[in-house]
Amino acid sequence: MSVAFAGADRAAETKLIESGQAVFLQRCAFCHGRDAGGGETGPDLTRSKLVASDVGGDKIGEVVRAGRPSGGMPAFNLPAGEITALAAFVHEEKKLAESQKGGRRGVDDADLQTGNAAAGKSYFEGAGTCSKCHSPTGDLAGVATRYHGLKLEERMLYPSHAPASVTVTLPSGETVTGKLEYHDEFTVGLKDPATGWYRSWPVSQVKYQIDAPAEAHAELLGKYTDDDIHNLMAYLQTLR
Amino acid sequence: MKLLFQSFLLNCCVCTTLLFAGTSGLDPSVILHPPADTWPSYHGDYSGRRHSSLTQINRSNVRNLGLAWAFQTGQEDEIKSSPLLVDGILYFTVPDNVWAVDARSGHQIWRYTYPPNKGFHIGQRGVAMYKDSLYFTTPDAHLICLDAKDGKVRWNIVIADSAKGYWTTLSPLVVRNHVIVGVSGDFDNLRGFLRSIDPDTGKTQWTWYSTPPAGTPDQPTGGMTWMTGTYDPGLNLVYWGTGNPTPVLTAKTRPGDGLYTCSIVALNPDNGKLAWAFQPSPHDTHDWDAVETPVLVDGDFHGTPRKMLMQTSRNGYFFVLDRTNGKSLLTTTFGPVNWSLGVDKDGRPIPNPDKDPAPDGRLIAPDEGGMTNYRSPSFDPSTGLFIVDAHPSYGIYFAKPADGTFGWAGADYGVWGKGILEAIDYQTGKIRWSHELGPGGSGAGVLTTDSGLTFTGDALGNVLALDTSNGKTLWHAGTSRGMQSSPIAYELDGHEYVLTSSGGVVFVWALPAD
Repeated sequence: MSVAFAGADRAAETKLIESGQAVFLQRCAFCHGRDAGGGETGPDLTRSKLVASDVGGDKIGEVVRAGRPSGGMPAFNLPAGEITALAAFVHEEKKLAESQKGGRRGVDDADLQTGNAAAGKSYFEGAGTCSKCHSPTGDLAGVATRYHGLKLEERMLYPSHAPASVTVTLPSGETVTGKLEYHDEFTVGLKDPATGWYRSWPVSQVKYQIDAPAEAHAELLGKYTDDDIHNLMAYLQTLR
Repeated sequence: MKLLFQSFLLNCCVCTTLLFAGTSGLDPSVILHPPADTWPSYHGDYSGRRHSSLTQINRSNVRNLGLAWAFQTGQEDEIKSSPLLVDGILYFTVPDNVWAVDARSGHQIWRYTYPPNKGFHIGQRGVAMYKDSLYFTTPDAHLICLDAKDGKVRWNIVIADSAKGYWTTLSPLVVRNHVIVGVSGDFDNLRGFLRSIDPDTGKTQWTWYSTPPAGTPDQPTGGMTWMTGTYDPGLNLVYWGTGNPTPVLTAKTRPGDGLYTCSIVALNPDNGKLAWAFQPSPHDTHDWDAVETPVLVDGDFHGTPRKMLMQTSRNGYFFVLDRTNGKSLLTTTFGPVNWSLGVDKDGRPIPNPDKDPAPDGRLIAPDEGGMTNYRSPSFDPSTGLFIVDAHPSYGIYFAKPADGTFGWAGADYGVWGKGILEAIDYQTGKIRWSHELGPGGSGAGVLTTDSGLTFTGDALGNVLALDTSNGKTLWHAGTSRGMQSSPIAYELDGHEYVLTSSGGVVFVWALPAD
């Protein structure tokens, strides 16, 4: 490869990154930060596992096009060329962030080690009422190998999109129980386990009972001290 | 005789229409007393109450409400603007785009598109109007003056340097011959300011800075002015909320209260001089802008007639102030709040230093989005209820030395939240009724009417009409996307319309024609 050609390659890449930056600034930077290191609401993309496994926008593109409605991220119907450029910019920012010397911005696993595991265990079994639903040898066995750091703490505080079930009693007296698919003040919908089809009813025409055990996490948010949270984290991190 | 009378009326209507067609545009004095066929400014009037005196759609017939027309912008960006309605033409926006649409039919009259630019395309709250000009702020912090007739650019000025990190989203406030604009910019240590612009020439009349220049020892930057204020013509004061200080999540370089960040300020619109300031969030470290609508209400407060200013602030507190002097009349929470040690003698919350963001995290209520955000609340005068889209929520906040002292300077993550419409009794702060809006939160603005209706949206994309006296649902329609704007209402040709938007679509609702 001639020197001139390598130079042209670099110039093309720089141009790609610049056009990706333009898209990023318009669409992404408010939430993810101008350097992709996190901004209002959106996570640091330079530490993202998805970004790390992305090649040329294949993974990033999927998320951009579909959005993450559950996490509050809208979908962006960007053309393929813009996705490629966007991904090139994010990878460049990741490289830059990783080359920074000293402490990095954001939350490291090491930051979340201030608690006391014994105190966390007693909170788990006592005031926290965690052991009513969870067991360190059952559902939480090895939880610290499945999740770590901030992700573990977020799931501990509130596992968003934990499944809920609903039992609907129809006017005929027939009852249907299945995974809760939709609920607002007018409609309740479930996936009928017998057929696999979605079914829904106006709430005015049926009786229904929702079972959403994960909502107990929301009840706890007003009761925790910060120490309780750090202690619980310390305890959960022993469940390997 | 009856026929004659009708034709006389018809002739009158034609005359009025012709008259309007000849004198099209908006005299700024109309904003003082908007007629029923006009929504002349972001809030609809200067008070920010977002209350309509219309009564045709009422508690008994609202169940018949149906779609008059819809308008699809076809854009990625959601509509966050409040449309203006002048001379039967609606003007609304998304970033880089303005539409003029016939309010009777939904037909597009013109569309203006701003050239591609690198500014943040996070939102656009709508245009302002003076005579036959529209004023439009852009992602790269320009102010564009458009001819309302055809959307052609009259002039284009720079409000702030977008290369430094400023952007703009707000609908300017027009007071007489002042077009007042504010700015956004949280990711750099920048001064917030309000600027008054001459509507004809685009020249600056005055600039008021909310914070000192960057680098001033022990002082914050920030205090962005990104939502439209309100105005009291009797006192000749504009009321404006200012945003959070920068650096955002650490106060290491800004030890004190940080004036005038997270504040409500009262300024003279003729010269930009500060009359008074009240600070809802002294020494903020949680991004809780105090930019939520400063709602102006004249009425009784504990037996004394008062000129009041009310705000449901992002930090979770409801404030009632005497707007002649900024003194506190009432401070109370309107949802879970865990970051303060109480309220000081001046009615300001006292931040708890243990709830500053920390390396190992602090659980904070409300979350960064706040107990409410930019969409409008509404004040209903007959019930005395201040109705707000509330967002009980928790987030975790982190900051450590490695995060530095520039821009965001930390990290925070929402944990849990939900939407709930709250009707607050302004004399006591007690919540008279509440209405669940769904998981995550709604974010929809609120409109009340003299016929006792409250219009808003839920977290699942339903447009709702509720009974203002008790919060019960009277009507709803699914739109599949959440409402990121605030409803308006108007009357044309004897028909009342309620306008909402969800996603990139405008929906206009009316009773069936006979």
